[in-house]
Amino acid sequence: MTVAGGRVTGSLLSLLLAALMLSAGPARADAAATAVQAQQRAKDVTQVVLGILSYARWPTEPVPLRLCLVGPTEYADDLIKGNLQNSGQPLQVRRLLADDRALAQACDAIYIGKLDHAERDRLFQAVSGHPVLSISEADDPCTVGSLFCLRVSDQQVAFEVNLDSVARSGVRIHPSVLQLSRRRAVQP
Amino acid sequence: MKATNKTRARPTLRSVLGRGHLSVALLAVGLVGISLTLLGVLALRVYANHNLHLIARSINYTVEAAVVFDDSVAANEALELIASTEEVADAKVFNNDGEQLAHWQRNVDGLLGHLETRVATALLGEPINLPIRHKQQRVGHIELIGQGRSLLLFMLGGLGGILFCTLLSAFVALHLSRRLLGDIVRPLRALASVAHAARRERSFDRRVPEAPIAELNELGNDFNALLDELEVWHSHLQNENATLAHQASHDSLTGLPNRAFFEGRLSRCLRNAARQQDHMALLFLDSDHFKQINDSLGHAVGDEVLINVADRVRAQLREHDLVARLGGDEFAILLTPLQSREDAQRIAEKIIASMQLPMQLDSGGSINTSLSVGIAYYPDDGDDSASLLNAADAAMYQAKRTRRGQWQAAQTERSAAEIKNRS
Repeated sequence: MTVAGGRVTGSLLSLLLAALMLSAGPARADAAATAVQAQQRAKDVTQVVLGILSYARWPTEPVPLRLCLVGPTEYADDLIKGNLQNSGQPLQVRRLLADDRALAQACDAIYIGKLDHAERDRLFQAVSGHPVLSISEADDPCTVGSLFCLRVSDQQVAFEVNLDSVARSGVRIHPSVLQLSRRRAVQP
Repeated sequence: MKATNKTRARPTLRSVLGRGHLSVALLAVGLVGISLTLLGVLALRVYANHNLHLIARSINYTVEAAVVFDDSVAANEALELIASTEEVADAKVFNNDGEQLAHWQRNVDGLLGHLETRVATALLGEPINLPIRHKQQRVGHIELIGQGRSLLLFMLGGLGGILFCTLLSAFVALHLSRRLLGDIVRPLRALASVAHAARRERSFDRRVPEAPIAELNELGNDFNALLDELEVWHSHLQNENATLAHQASHDSLTGLPNRAFFEGRLSRCLRNAARQQDHMALLFLDSDHFKQINDSLGHAVGDEVLINVADRVRAQLREHDLVARLGGDEFAILLTPLQSREDAQRIAEKIIASMQLPMQLDSGGSINTSLSVGIAYYPDDGDDSASLLNAADAAMYQAKRTRRGQWQAAQTERSAAEIKNRS
């Protein structure tokens, strides 16, 4: 309840902020709208990422769950702020560089921001053979590499699953998540 | 009037039996049917609630992922998948913020649908509220309202069953009461008809037949015994009456009818004769010297003589003729029908002749007696009993005066006129 209340006040505050910005001048209206939208997207992305993590099973249960943000991310601010998974499992979030050698050992899950092809290939080479759950934020055809690829829009945050990668990674994903993702993929 | 009203107000045995059977049958069926239906509804309610909980739990599992990802479309699809095939009227999925993620509602159509809703709200109570958990953490909840279809169908079936059983048992009860009524009423009717016959027609020869029911059979037997006694008593009474009637109309010494009987018959015959224009003759007989016999030989001999005279006179008469002892030594004879005066005279002569033989007395010895006879004719000598008797009496005295032991026809003015007319 307190969490919900906090959220409500948070959204109220942001609305107030938006209203202030709107009153400040029509020139700034666009920027304000995108700020509110960005906030909403970040919130949705956080929920989806936490949901995926909650439905994943590692060969040995990591305590705490170490989530690494790699590369420039757009919606991961909320992830950094919060340190609790919604299942109550402790979550440790930190930023790492894409070519960090210890990445495969230091992370159970990686949230991948904008990376170029070379960086991406190196990253996946580094984690291959380790049970690491990878989620791509930016546009990713989801054919090689990442287990989950987010499709962020204003309406909702959808995701796709690369079943080959899931099978190879050694991380088990609950079937209902797979079902959810496939259905979403089919959706236009 | 009052009595008939009273009897009309009283219920017949048939209605009493019918009502009794019917009420017992209806009570039994009603109690059993209602209690069974109530028990069934209660049991079914428990199962329906349990079932609803199971449905809620399976919905929970199905929509769990959709709620975690806050995916309204997926939640709706999962909800519909389950709810549409189960007995659910309304299902809602909420996330932790209290926002409604998915809603499914069964189309309520027609009277049956509304009835189902009523039954569901009345019997299933509050909607089921179950939290959705993911990793022991509450992520949302669902609200489920059950559909009262099976309950409604059961209740309708129960009602139908009660109705059918009521009709069936009413039919059977009426049939049984009719049969029982037959067994009871048949002997009672027989009893009533026998009693009625005994009361109205004095026919004591009928008896009540045997009855299949012991008490009624006993009643019938007792009634029959009572009838036996009544019959004996009645016949005894009739014999007494006959004897008394005979004694009242007959002379005890000679056994001949007495004066009252004779006069009654005479007036009746006169009426008949007047109507049919018949002729009759009235003979008046008197024993000659009877007073002397009585005085010299005693009353016993006098009685003996009278009996003898009566026997002899009776022996001379035809079938329909009547002889009576009017009193003392006086006898009267009514000859009817009469063809001619000569017939009467011939009979008078035969009677006089029958006296010529001496009478044997019980004490030994014999006695001679004679009769004087007066004849009066109807309608020549009178057309009523008094005038005829007077005429015959007068003729008899005339015979006594002229010559005892002879007959004499009446010679009234009327008869003289008749004779004159004829000549």
